[in-house]
Amino acid sequence: MRIGRSIGAAVIAAIAVVALAAPGLAPQDPYRSGVAMLDLPSATHWLGTDDLGRDVLSRMIYGARASLAIGIGAAAVAMLIGVPIGLVAGTMRGRVDLALVALIDLFIALPGLVLALIITVMVGANLRNLIIVLGAVMWPPIARLVRGQALAVREAVFVEAARATGGTQVWIIRHHIWPGVLPVVAAQFSISVSFAIFTSASLSFLGLGIPPPAADWGGMVRAGYDYLAINPWMSLAPGAAVSLTVMGFYVIGTSFK
Amino acid sequence: MVRPMLRLIVRRMLLMVLTALAVSALLFFSVTKWLGSPASMMLGQDASPQAIAALNAKYGFGQPAITQYLHWLGGALRGDLGRSYTTQQSVAQAIAIRLPVTLELTTWSVTLAVIAAVVCNTVPVARTPLRRIVTAVNLVGITVPNFMLGISLIFLLSVQLELLPSTGWVPWSDGMGAHLMHMIMPVATLSSYYFGVFSIVYRAEYQDVIKRPFIGVARAKGLNEWRVAFRHAAPNAILPVITFVGISVGQLTGGAVVTETIFSMPGTGRLFVASIEGRDFPVMLAIGMLIVVGVVLMNLLADVAYTIANPQIRHES
Repeated sequence: MRIGRSIGAAVIAAIAVVALAAPGLAPQDPYRSGVAMLDLPSATHWLGTDDLGRDVLSRMIYGARASLAIGIGAAAVAMLIGVPIGLVAGTMRGRVDLALVALIDLFIALPGLVLALIITVMVGANLRNLIIVLGAVMWPPIARLVRGQALAVREAVFVEAARATGGTQVWIIRHHIWPGVLPVVAAQFSISVSFAIFTSASLSFLGLGIPPPAADWGGMVRAGYDYLAINPWMSLAPGAAVSLTVMGFYVIGTSFK
Repeated sequence: MVRPMLRLIVRRMLLMVLTALAVSALLFFSVTKWLGSPASMMLGQDASPQAIAALNAKYGFGQPAITQYLHWLGGALRGDLGRSYTTQQSVAQAIAIRLPVTLELTTWSVTLAVIAAVVCNTVPVARTPLRRIVTAVNLVGITVPNFMLGISLIFLLSVQLELLPSTGWVPWSDGMGAHLMHMIMPVATLSSYYFGVFSIVYRAEYQDVIKRPFIGVARAKGLNEWRVAFRHAAPNAILPVITFVGISVGQLTGGAVVTETIFSMPGTGRLFVASIEGRDFPVMLAIGMLIVVGVVLMNLLADVAYTIANPQIRHES
């Protein structure tokens, strides 16, 4: 698993560099269309051009930005909702726990992609909304995981000691439960990022993600799908980029479990 | 023995009804707010105010949302899901003709995925290339999005090698061969994800089971490794997979939506996407409800199957 983690970290680091340095790295303007449409890869267009004559490689480089922003943003939102709920449920036990678990069970049964589809169309697809919507559908498993961890940590002797010396619930959560839960949360964060990128790319592929002409991997795969027989790179290259990114974050996350 | 099972079923049924009600109300009220006037949408932009008013009166669009919701709910309970805004077709009928396609796709995919996951992770050839291949396929199945898998398959098998038809769907009545040819790539696409998920769940349990004393006894009796693996270890490790099949049907509906879109299959998933794009609210609501009910029902079935397969659970509850 260690080798996997290193490879995953290297892949993600490379993609992050590409996203940050996109304006310097992209050989051409990702939004400028040209007369050379659906060209195969050549010296000027390394991955060829799309149906509007735009440089596929440049669009792919810019697409890294949207993917990373949505992935990290949505995972952060999901953590902000799921971690406190899980911590409180796991530490307090009793009626609060029962109510929160019922809430988690209600939401965990709902299919994330389907829910995201509906909400995204209602609120309108843009970067900010997608981050919020994906975060909002991804929190239940995180809450469940954190609750389970908190339940285990709260049985530790040091928590009992803190309680015996009159520590408040907030103090105990902050200083004793949270540090014990943190490693699992960190690993889960990476997995959540991969899931968010996976789902947002699927939304884009269905035509319900970030609207065109934005450079977005899922949208590019969709656009290239119709021209698979003419310039397959238009679809396969951004599809490979999504897969690599998802795989990278997933491998990093699972290697810590 | 029967009573705890009955209690479980009743409790799950109640939860299902509650979830379905909550989700339908949530969808209904948020969508009626967001949709604006369905009448003007149905009639197009040039509709006269009179025509809009007439349609409003006919469908009750002018009434408060709660009245409309109760009206819809009353109809839904009697099997009347309203009419599509765009095609005027009965929603129940539109779904009924597409549901078999989705059900067939998912049944094939889940069945294949379960069988493959169990067999690949039970075969007693530890630390051989097969193990590595299974691990790699797992990772690919889980992390490579359905659309990428599907498109790669189309590119490879249809565009390059011209072995299989790229998209579309042929009913059974037009010949079994053609039907199955069109099913190969969609099923491969959808089942690969489930193979990955089931494989991870199953293997974790299997590695736990194989360490237990009764496996040692079976080996000591002189049984060969294959018999130990398939006859003694596998049946004891398969339980969590049963639960997981139920849970993953939730995500499966999502996967089916993408898969049906890639391969242009006339299933409910594609109808769902089309209804969202076309703001066809009755269709969207009905399929949304169908998915939620289906998910909860599958969870229930999984729990019941689990209870039957594992007597310990029965006694505990």
